[in-house]
Amino acid sequence: MTRAPWWALAAVVVVAVLATRYLVWLDPGNRCVITIRPSLVGYDNRIVKLALESLRHGSPEDYRQVCVHVGTINPNPACGGFGGGCFWHGDGQKGRATIDVSTEHGLIWTTAIVVHETCHARQFHEGRPPGFDLEHECYNEDDRIMRALVQFE
Amino acid sequence: MTKYAVVGGLLLVLAWGWTSVFSWFDASALCRVHIDVELLEGDRASVKEAISVVRREDPVAYRDLCRWVDRIQEERECMAGDPQADPRFRGADPALRRARDAAGCYMRGSRVIVLRRARDGENPATLLRERAEAITRSAGYARAFWTGVSVSPSSLK
Repeated sequence: MTRAPWWALAAVVVVAVLATRYLVWLDPGNRCVITIRPSLVGYDNRIVKLALESLRHGSPEDYRQVCVHVGTINPNPACGGFGGGCFWHGDGQKGRATIDVSTEHGLIWTTAIVVHETCHARQFHEGRPPGFDLEHECYNEDDRIMRALVQFE
Repeated sequence: MTKYAVVGGLLLVLAWGWTSVFSWFDASALCRVHIDVELLEGDRASVKEAISVVRREDPVAYRDLCRWVDRIQEERECMAGDPQADPRFRGADPALRRARDAAGCYMRGSRVIVLRRARDGENPATLLRERAEAITRSAGYARAFWTGVSVSPSSLK
């Protein structure tokens, strides 16, 4: 093989590694792989990864729930706007679900949204129908995680 | 050979410039803390000033910062709960308001300190002092989390 194809191969490998690093949360120790969609705004994939990292160390049970119920995180603004998240009910969500998590308000709120939308994914996988009443349960979940993890005084 | 040395030197200067602009970088202490701020509203210089106060006045806290924190994010506020949560669950808890007013906070499980963005009309000197105290306190929390040893953070003199 001449030198040029080697360079091309190296470039492909580097691009593949960087893309994987950017678009996939990989935690073999906990058997957790989550795809993170490309973000249109800023460094949002990094904030999602920081949120997952914080959950992994700060609240392992919540992290386990995320790994069990969520397969893909979309960090772009969705139905929740720039500061919220969404869980769409549908047949495509029967396996590990896709959740929308906007990252506009930084690490704490992003972590809270991940836990909130994971709560909806869990409700869906348990066969519970969509409805407003179920929101309270998930609001309480994100409230709980913020109280557990944020130290300020 | 000279050509490679020049290119290497240029790359080194570029890397140093990049690091210095976007981070707190203290080569003598092998300390680098990345600083995230909002593109339009953020103020990286004032965060660096607060870290500088910590370095000057509390070496122990500064060492904790360098060892256990790798990122400081300037955000609108610290949130310690969801105001939309069921009031029966949440109760009448003034902690949410105290967190919103706090100059900074630490998120357990991370190596990140969140600092509240300056508000309109806020006295810069007061904010600087409050931020330095918040960094000191939060660096202590980070050390306690990662070492499992809870020691009350030393206070600024």
